[in-house]
Amino acid sequence: MASRRIRPMPSVSGVGLRLPHLTDVVATRPSAAWFEIHPENFLANPHAAELLVDIARDYPISVHSVGVSIGSASGIDRPHLARVRALVDLIDPILVSGHLAWSTHAGEYLNDLLPLPYTSETLRIVSAHVDEVQDTLGRPYLIENPSSYVGFSTSTMTEVEFLSELVHRTGCRLLCDVSNIYLSAHNLGFDRDRYISELPVDAIAELHLGGFTPEPEEGGGEVLIDTHGSCIAEPVWAFYAHALERFGRKPTLIEWDNDVPPLDVILAEAARADAVAQGALAPRQVHALAS
Amino acid sequence: MPLLHDIQRRLRDAVVAEDAAGTLLPLLVGGNPGTRLGIHRHHYEASLTRALIDKFPAVSWLAGERFATSAAQAFVRAHPPAAPCIAEYGIDYPAFLASRAGAERLPYLYAFAELEWHLGQVSIAVDRAPLPIEHLTSIEADELPDHRLSLQPGLRYFTAGWPVDELIKQYLSSTTPERYAFDPAEVRLEISGARGEFHIERVDAGDFVFRSSIAVGATIGTAAECALDVDATFDPGNALLRLVGAGLVIAIDKPEINA
Repeated sequence: MASRRIRPMPSVSGVGLRLPHLTDVVATRPSAAWFEIHPENFLANPHAAELLVDIARDYPISVHSVGVSIGSASGIDRPHLARVRALVDLIDPILVSGHLAWSTHAGEYLNDLLPLPYTSETLRIVSAHVDEVQDTLGRPYLIENPSSYVGFSTSTMTEVEFLSELVHRTGCRLLCDVSNIYLSAHNLGFDRDRYISELPVDAIAELHLGGFTPEPEEGGGEVLIDTHGSCIAEPVWAFYAHALERFGRKPTLIEWDNDVPPLDVILAEAARADAVAQGALAPRQVHALAS
Repeated sequence: MPLLHDIQRRLRDAVVAEDAAGTLLPLLVGGNPGTRLGIHRHHYEASLTRALIDKFPAVSWLAGERFATSAAQAFVRAHPPAAPCIAEYGIDYPAFLASRAGAERLPYLYAFAELEWHLGQVSIAVDRAPLPIEHLTSIEADELPDHRLSLQPGLRYFTAGWPVDELIKQYLSSTTPERYAFDPAEVRLEISGARGEFHIERVDAGDFVFRSSIAVGATIGTAAECALDVDATFDPGNALLRLVGAGLVIAIDKPEINA
């Protein structure tokens, strides 16, 4: 396992940069601390890529892939990884990340982040793929915990155990999606506080927050759908504050991918994330100064 | 315990083909697993259907939203994307559209959808610095036929048996005439674009064959011979100057010939 250092990054909140906002960002240079992009939106769109290169001169960029598919038993999408590498070389992002999920099977891309059973076989496959991605990119790869609607009865370890072992084997870092923990704990009935308490703190390099949509289920109750199409839910803000108490301040990304509003709305969510972080960590800092 | 590859094959079939969920369900936990699996199935169909509808708005205008939506839903089930860049997804959609029941009432639908695909592709291109026309004079005249030209990335050549360029201009002008005469007629189109804009020009037979041959890698000499085959009055020198003068050429090179 090669040791790879992560580049220093301001522990403030950034926003997802989606295609509807590209020309506005180029023209107005809004006061965003950093942007995250999905490379899949740019690799086949030369005009968008040209605008991105311009934006990357003035803002730190995080590259968050939805298509590398480290969980695919049939292998990662190597041609796609090569294209991601070319974009990474072009814009020199501050972080590169992906998902603990799979999306490609036998040459088909399923346009979703599909769930994995947490077994020794899966761990072996995912670890080999993370090694390959990090070797190809020449930098650490951050792995995001998934939003889940189903689990597998065949799993032999918890998601946190799986992620911890993945970090141990590959030296990868973790992108902790706080909303995903909240959503998955609700949908699958696990203890979200325990999940936070068991994650390897030193591996956490970035946090995500995104909106979800509750939908009623047959027989009562509701399932939370990871739509990224609304503001962050109030209970998630409280859970975010709790996560920060454990992790300390980390770069936090506001995700908004559907029904994309004006950029000001998303920037306001980022400002709120900064305010929540300041509030959550202020007592600790005061205590540290007093002691 | 099923191996990961087998689980993923079953999950793929459940999501894409709405099949085999029965053999998968005993492996799943969480709420009602069948219903929960439907969340992934719905996301797959809805997200890709939306991508196609957004990519082919003129098809919806021409064929109706119900037909277009139904065709897009069927297409995403029959033809999953091969790669994660959804901007590249849908090149086979025009042919699929034309094969759908109900498409026979619109015999020009295939060509119309293909034209819309090309417009979408050229409008996200980035043009490059054109080759200065003076560059041609630095090449000996008798060597020019052996050279190849590279054209602007946002340039496509397209023929159709219907004047679909007129039809798409109707769509773009947001007008719907009460009566519209539309008869078969061969059109040869040059579609160019970059940075969100596009243009459609009709080109005569000689220029079309010359330019489209250049676009697929023919040497200037071979392209000129092909053009002369369809138009005995074709003037290669003049055609070359007009092509370069229009800023459509970005490079010229002489391919090496292996002995």
